[in-house]
Amino acid sequence: MLLSQATYRKSDRKETASARPLSVSEAMRQAKSSLEAVTVVLIGEVSEVSAKAGYKAVYFTVKDAGASLPCMMWLDRYRRSGVELVVGQKVELTGRFTLYAPKGRMNFEVSSISVEGEGELRRRVAQLARKLEQEGLMSPARKRPVARIYEHVGLVTSPRGDAVHDVMRTMRRRFPATRISLAGVAVEGAAAATGMAQALSACVSAGCEVVLLVRGGGTFEDLMPFNDESLARAIAACPVPVVTGIGHEPDTTIADMVADVRASTPTGAAERVTPDGDSVARDLEMRGTLLTRSIETTVARWADGVATCASRPVFKDPAASLFATDFMTVDMLHERLSRALPGCMERNAAAVESLSKRLCIKGAHAFDSFEHDLALRAGRLHDLSPLSVLSRGYAMARDEEGRVVTSSADVSSGQRIDVSLCDGVLHCTIDEIAALSAAE
Amino acid sequence: MTETASGTIEQMSFREAMAELDRTVSILESNTLELEDSLKSYEYGVALLADLKKRLSTAQQKVDVLMGQLDVPADDATTDTTLS
Repeated sequence: MLLSQATYRKSDRKETASARPLSVSEAMRQAKSSLEAVTVVLIGEVSEVSAKAGYKAVYFTVKDAGASLPCMMWLDRYRRSGVELVVGQKVELTGRFTLYAPKGRMNFEVSSISVEGEGELRRRVAQLARKLEQEGLMSPARKRPVARIYEHVGLVTSPRGDAVHDVMRTMRRRFPATRISLAGVAVEGAAAATGMAQALSACVSAGCEVVLLVRGGGTFEDLMPFNDESLARAIAACPVPVVTGIGHEPDTTIADMVADVRASTPTGAAERVTPDGDSVARDLEMRGTLLTRSIETTVARWADGVATCASRPVFKDPAASLFATDFMTVDMLHERLSRALPGCMERNAAAVESLSKRLCIKGAHAFDSFEHDLALRAGRLHDLSPLSVLSRGYAMARDEEGRVVTSSADVSSGQRIDVSLCDGVLHCTIDEIAALSAAE
Repeated sequence: MTETASGTIEQMSFREAMAELDRTVSILESNTLELEDSLKSYEYGVALLADLKKRLSTAQQKVDVLMGQLDVPADDATTDTTLS
């Protein structure tokens, strides 16, 4: 207020100096800028509320025993505040005075609003948040990754209201194959935090791979169970990831901070743990295409391999390449054989010829010595022949029986004998025998 | 080749079957298999794919209530009209 007084004085001086009266607009502008320079925090009771569809702001009045003040709050700020204005409610407002020039009306433009006493509550929550943060419960390193597809999802929320059906509908629409285990518990009131912590462990026991902790929007006070320390610790200790989807407002609860993933709404949480069914179908199509392409590539590669092999000389002209050496060897042997046989025969013929010649030469004189011996023996035989003795004038007498008469005693007178000479036989008769004495 | 460490395809979860399909595609793409094994892998991949598609098209949402009493939900058509 000091500042605005100062501004007024300054304006007074200006007026005096220029000595020109201000227009209404100018005066209002000056007043507006003076008023808006000061931020005021006040507490009052809500007496009227006007929040009509299509308005850009919510209009309400706060009062105390002696005064009332028209207030306005831009709708986006009002929504973000999480406060739902109710007549008779005590609220703490932060804002500044402003003037609405066309009507000359003073408003209090509210920048933030909270239900009275909530300030203390918020301070306590902030303190708990700091404590848990220091313990590392909110550390990104501690948080577990959340997959795109789950077979079995736990759902912790109120069994009544929109949130549970929002989640189920979203999951049904996106990926109905996911099984849901619902742990329906109270999400408001003194026992809510304990109930939700128990519900978390019930989901884990049921075999859920991830748990959704959700509720629809509410005031800061409504959301208090989600700022509970034991629930925060239960979330951090949960063996499976926890995804929160609490309210439609920007108020971040401690449960959100500790959760592995925070979605801003129940639907958002459901979307976070389910794939888009169409995208899965497209994914499968793509994998099918990859599969077919891979096998085609593989078969083509093997076919290429076979073709390469088939084009190798060994298969193209097996006779030439496979048996070439053998063929050549056979040819060479054939050549050698064809040359060898006649050569061999020629050599044999020559040998036969030479042997034959030697035989002829040897053969011609083979009997010479025999002939010589024979001639000698023939000569001697001739010498020994009685005929040759006869030829020398001797005669041989034989009796009628042909026996050679060698003694005169062998014959008698009158006996006929044949006397052989060298050139004929004399048939004689013995007339007389004259024996010769041995002494003669 | 419908039997693996993770059992038959029917016994696998959707995610396991998906992972198995990915693995099969990768193996095939790596071009390291004998032709016969490639064909077996392909056959296996096709079986996985068919099973996954079937599951996707025939799945019905299954909800077990562990705690609390679930209100009878409005059907999707009703909900959609009331939402708008």
